[in-house]
Amino acid sequence: MLSKVFATIAVVITGGLLLFGVYDFPSFGDPNSPPNAGAEGGGESVSQYFITHTYKDTKVPNLVTAVLADYRGYDTMFETVVVFAAGIAIFCIMRVVGNANDPRQKKEREGMHSFTYGDHNRIIIGTTCRVIVPIIQLFGLYVIAHGHYSPGGGFQGGVLLGASFILLALSSDLNSALKRFSEYNYFKLAAVGILIYAGFGLTSQFLGENFLDYGVLQPLLFTDGPEMARSHSMLGVEIGVAFTVMAIMFSIYANLASQGTLKDGL
Amino acid sequence: MSEQLPAIIVLAPMFGSLLIALVGIKEQRVCLPIVVASILASLFSTIAVAQQVFTSGPIDYFMGGWEEPLGIGIHLRVDELNALILVVIGIVALLVASFSVGRMGRENGDKAPQFYILYLLLCTGLFGITITADAFNLFVLIEVSSLTSYGLVAMGSNRRGTHAAFNYVIMGTVGASFYLIGVGYLYMKTGSLNMIDIRNVLNNNAAIAESNAIIISFLFILVGIWIKMAFFPLNGWLPNAYSYCPSTSACILAPLMTKVSVYVMIRAMLTIFGFDWIFSYPFWSDLVVWLAVIAILAGSIFALAQREIKKMLSYLIIAEVGYMVGGAWLGDSGGWGVTGAIYHILADAMMTLCLFIAAGIFARSFNAIHISDLEGLFKKSPWVAAGFVIGALAMIGVPPTCGFFSKFYLVRGGIDAGHWEYVAALLISSLVNAILFFRIFEIAHFGNKPPEGHGHHAEEVTPVKGSWNSSAPLLLSAAGIILLGLFNGQIVELIRIAVDDIPSLSANLKF
Repeated sequence: MLSKVFATIAVVITGGLLLFGVYDFPSFGDPNSPPNAGAEGGGESVSQYFITHTYKDTKVPNLVTAVLADYRGYDTMFETVVVFAAGIAIFCIMRVVGNANDPRQKKEREGMHSFTYGDHNRIIIGTTCRVIVPIIQLFGLYVIAHGHYSPGGGFQGGVLLGASFILLALSSDLNSALKRFSEYNYFKLAAVGILIYAGFGLTSQFLGENFLDYGVLQPLLFTDGPEMARSHSMLGVEIGVAFTVMAIMFSIYANLASQGTLKDGL
Repeated sequence: MSEQLPAIIVLAPMFGSLLIALVGIKEQRVCLPIVVASILASLFSTIAVAQQVFTSGPIDYFMGGWEEPLGIGIHLRVDELNALILVVIGIVALLVASFSVGRMGRENGDKAPQFYILYLLLCTGLFGITITADAFNLFVLIEVSSLTSYGLVAMGSNRRGTHAAFNYVIMGTVGASFYLIGVGYLYMKTGSLNMIDIRNVLNNNAAIAESNAIIISFLFILVGIWIKMAFFPLNGWLPNAYSYCPSTSACILAPLMTKVSVYVMIRAMLTIFGFDWIFSYPFWSDLVVWLAVIAILAGSIFALAQREIKKMLSYLIIAEVGYMVGGAWLGDSGGWGVTGAIYHILADAMMTLCLFIAAGIFARSFNAIHISDLEGLFKKSPWVAAGFVIGALAMIGVPPTCGFFSKFYLVRGGIDAGHWEYVAALLISSLVNAILFFRIFEIAHFGNKPPEGHGHHAEEVTPVKGSWNSSAPLLLSAAGIILLGLFNGQIVELIRIAVDDIPSLSANLKF
């Protein structure tokens, strides 16, 4: 009871402080606010620069993708690493490996069979999912490939692709999904995804520029200028992100659904 | 090539972890060589970069080559302050990697490759946090290092470790979110994420610098980092997480996670907001020093109450965090408090490493979890005992170990600033450390029971053969403690350059 009182007090103080700070913010949609026009005394406004220069610099019409994958590409690479680390951490915590006769592990596995052997020959669900899964995957590919023209990109497309495998596992069972996408493969794919991303950066380092400076990749990508090289590289890194996100999504699902055994599960 | 070194520091461990994920899962033999090679690559780059910094001033590196205007890309900056910390991170990571040899099979079952992946990603995160000059990039790398450390804490066979990791996840997420909210508020008022750009705005625009939103953003950043560094009373997650995790994880997390968080706080105070701005609000500087005093005393008292070795060390970390926070907030005109705090980051990293490696060896070779299990340690294994004693003496603050000099600078700062309560707390905490460790020495030398009568029949003690791959890192870290103490003059000189330079940094930033 006492802890609830303390928690309430903490929440009220935190919320009050946040609201008090919001009171001080520039008004909503103000074109002269510091995030939009830069603050007096600072350097040139960052958002103004993005709005005026992005298309010139990168030939990418979607500003958000350009900021995400090029100007601040280093952040996005580490966001992908965060996803990868989460997948590995969940593997470390959940996955049951090694000695199958370990009494502790055996005990844990008992009592989880009640819900696993359901009727998997559900015609309506099975047929619907068989039809839907390819469409989801196709849409996922579209979202990845079109990320620099319209809303979308590697994270969203990767989630769609991962969701299609999860749907497969839900509609039939985990094993039939794992047959198509095994544990060994999905961790490999996750690493390959980041390696694609970081590979673009490393290649530009080898060509004498800073990490992730896609402009120098022009001779390798056979484009007309450094701007198009940036645009193509963004597509490349989005594909890398999509690989990692798809693989880790499915790995987390597989580990959680089968309590780390990867046997039958939900 | 040499201008690429700042990027290589961060990227080498990341590529190492990817390599392990690609080839190491099938071939477990290659894991350790990859780990050592990638950390060595980072360590050599840090040393090269540090040399460059010490001879010719700070180095800037712009990701993707986006330099102008400041803040559109991501800016890495190595100055005297973080060059030292980068080197220490590299050394600690290397020593712990060699300590992990031969421990994997026992502690982590068949998950050794995954352990090493998380280990290297943790190093990536810590290097990245230390090197970046971008407030949001710092958050992303806090995420990398936190997620990996949750995994490292939880993966042991000890169920209590998993439970402690859950608490750690909740607290760590709250801390990271607070930091992110603070950065969001800062962006709302200054329109930039680059630390130096933010600082320029705050310096040149009094209306923004004095606004409530900036004060609140500072508070949120501060409290968020305090949770990450387990500053009392936000320390709830730390003791169990560090005591019940695999000892290799404890050895890498205990010396580095809290210390890098202290660095982030000092970086936020020095570079983002600036001491002038912070100490223009006197009420909170006194308050924080008092909080630090409470943290030091509470950490010491809780440490006295512990029977488990690792728990006791964990509470000592909490007391040490109090030293550093208090030192950074003394605000004395000579800057000795913050100098001592930065020096103590380095010193405490080495001391904690030494003691946690010793605790790991105790747990493994002597089956000693509780303090009373250490009976006859000095005879059983004199080398391990020697390393442990040096770490303990440094914790107490005996010259010529680094613990003495860091306390010396902190006390000097406390006296200059007139914060006598802080000086008193430091001395009391040293006394408590002396009691704690001499109690252990007594048990380790004489045993639990006092010898009866004069017929002191010495029992035959069989020396325990420790393996060199675990005692060598211990002795190396002990040597590090002494070296850090002997060369304190030169190191403090470098720190002084950073402390004096950073306040005027907006004026002399060159491209």
